[in-house]
Amino acid sequence: MKIKLFPKNEQELSKLFVLIFPLTLLLSLTISFLKNAYFTFANLLPHNAIFNYGFLDRVDTQASLGLVFGAALCLSFSYLFSKSLGRATVLFPLVFLTLLGVVGTEFLDILVNFFSQNSAYDFGNSSLLILLKILVVFGLFGLSSLNLLAKKEPSIFASAQFIYGAVVFYLISLFIIRGELNVFSDIFLINSLYASTHIYVGVTFIYLAIIHFLMTRPLEAIMFNKTLSSIAFWGFLFLLPWTNFKYYYGSVLPNWIENISIYLSISLVVPLLAFLVNYTKTIQSKEAAENKSLGLMNFSVILFSITTIFHIVSSFENLLPILGITNFVNVIRFGYVGSLVMATISFSYYLIPKLFGREVAYSRLEDIVFNGFKISYLLVLINNTLIGVNSGYSWNAGANAGNPTIYGEGYEIVWNLISFNFSLNTFISLILLSSGFLYLISVLKAVSSGQITTVEEMVYTNE
Amino acid sequence: MSDLVNKVAEILNAPVDLVQRSAEARAAASGVSVDDVLNSWAGGESVAASAPKEEAPVQETVAEEVVEEVVEEVATEEVVEEVVEEVATEEVVEEVVEEVVEGKNESSFSFIAGVLFVGLFTFLFAFVIPKNQTTTVVSESLNNSVVVSGDVIQGAEIYSSLNCQSCHTQNVRTLIPDTQNGKVLKNKYANATLINNVGNIRLGPDLSTSATREPTNNSQWLERYLSDSTSVNRDIPHPDYDFLDEQDLEYLITYLLSLGEVNE
Repeated sequence: MKIKLFPKNEQELSKLFVLIFPLTLLLSLTISFLKNAYFTFANLLPHNAIFNYGFLDRVDTQASLGLVFGAALCLSFSYLFSKSLGRATVLFPLVFLTLLGVVGTEFLDILVNFFSQNSAYDFGNSSLLILLKILVVFGLFGLSSLNLLAKKEPSIFASAQFIYGAVVFYLISLFIIRGELNVFSDIFLINSLYASTHIYVGVTFIYLAIIHFLMTRPLEAIMFNKTLSSIAFWGFLFLLPWTNFKYYYGSVLPNWIENISIYLSISLVVPLLAFLVNYTKTIQSKEAAENKSLGLMNFSVILFSITTIFHIVSSFENLLPILGITNFVNVIRFGYVGSLVMATISFSYYLIPKLFGREVAYSRLEDIVFNGFKISYLLVLINNTLIGVNSGYSWNAGANAGNPTIYGEGYEIVWNLISFNFSLNTFISLILLSSGFLYLISVLKAVSSGQITTVEEMVYTNE
Repeated sequence: MSDLVNKVAEILNAPVDLVQRSAEARAAASGVSVDDVLNSWAGGESVAASAPKEEAPVQETVAEEVVEEVVEEVATEEVVEEVVEEVATEEVVEEVVEEVVEGKNESSFSFIAGVLFVGLFTFLFAFVIPKNQTTTVVSESLNNSVVVSGDVIQGAEIYSSLNCQSCHTQNVRTLIPDTQNGKVLKNKYANATLINNVGNIRLGPDLSTSATREPTNNSQWLERYLSDSTSVNRDIPHPDYDFLDEQDLEYLITYLLSLGEVNE
């Protein structure tokens, strides 16, 4: 296994990120497990300024939404972007440095948090690093625009479109998080728009970029319809940024933006259907046999669809008082991040033989990894939905009955309903952590001792 | 393979055998597989090394190679002529197919402009305009700001650094069920930390009226609960903040005792 410190082309760079991704995922899952353990067993575990729920929750946000997202973005960008445009990357050394910068600043953000907790925003970004992040992502935006303009293929393949959309909205999200807090509604405005641009668009678009590649090339299938892919792209791009305001329905946000959010969330059904029809029809035309890692891709599509359906269903006005501001909001984030994680794992297994020239032996180890991720993410979705619905329902029911469950004295009623689910969350995050660890072992085993196979040859010409 | 050829032939509206031969010629010229070429024509994954400028010389090379091979092996003029004719046909087909494919050309500039337009539209209408609108409304209203002491701000900063807002909200919404038991958060100018502490997701109890109710309006109870929560309530887990120094704990309690007044 040879990893060059200064890669000369896209394949060598992709190799680097194939190895970085499992490491970032393992770090994120470890922090997530500790966070959940410190929520459920706050009274039992030893604690200090670092090992407490509040601090771990902030670091968990940075790790999952920053570092894992950054690593997945870099992996998909380094391998898919140039491939989708039919040419070698323009200004490759700069792209290499910028991609390292994306992962580096996200990692630095986690480290800075240990020394400067007061400068961190709610979503985990440290104010000290936001400007640097903007600079790096702006560089990535410029380089990706340049590469798009220099494309050699007549059409722009869907993967490149989605990656570009993710980069643009990642940049926008960084500008949004720097917004000043002047009046109380600003916190809802900034946090909901940051969540929808960074998580809903950013995470989802990297996911869709990977899926549009995996459903064609590895399966030797032909994209069913480019128009449907365009509908999914433009539909999600326009609608998703508006969909998070609805969870603050009835708050100090302007009424018009809450109402628009409801209607546009319901409209998500259009791009979702376009994507699902395209996906189903495309994989029907497959000529290659589907391996186990592509089964994980299929499951990620199911998870993505369930999450989006939850997102649509929660737009109904009668449900919003129950679901808004509760843990249900986290379900949408977990669903999209989980889909991205599973698709990237599937993608990395596809890349190992192509880049490292080593076959992946789909043994029991890989079965455990795939099933671990599938079961865990599905349980995360169901369990947190139950927490959200139960707590929201009991708060509203309690208020109607004159019992103040929303406050401390009545909280015991709520806690009795949801304490089991929080304990289950800790258990699920332990399964996720184990799966993440085994995934790292599996990747290392494959790239170091897998059966030798032919490395993919990609010939590019730069004129 | 045959499905792929049929699909492409259908898309390009060209005979299957012509598409097949064109794809083979293009694949030989580009150094990629026939499947890759067909995929790219079908609108699927792109083919590497398919620079348009390379096409003309490559086609010539193919023709030459085929002619030479045939001349060496058979050495009859008739066969050479047939092969040359066939290659000539391939060139024509290749041109036709290329024209059809290039007819679907997508402009990168339009695509980039489209994405940037949606991005700017979102930034303007979902962020800049509502932010300015709410600020204007607040500035025009009476009693429009929250004024608190320095100690409360210090406590609010500790609350924020401990990330208490990740569990506790300070926001009772104007929806009917929420308002029956509490005060509604009003839009006002305030210190950035006070605004940040309002929180976004409610896992634990809401603290918007914490200082107006028993027992959370009692500083001694708060001190005991924050230092050792199990001594007050064993059933509901809550982090202990006994690692805070005495001064910080005092600031935090001062802040908690101010809740219920600032947000009115």
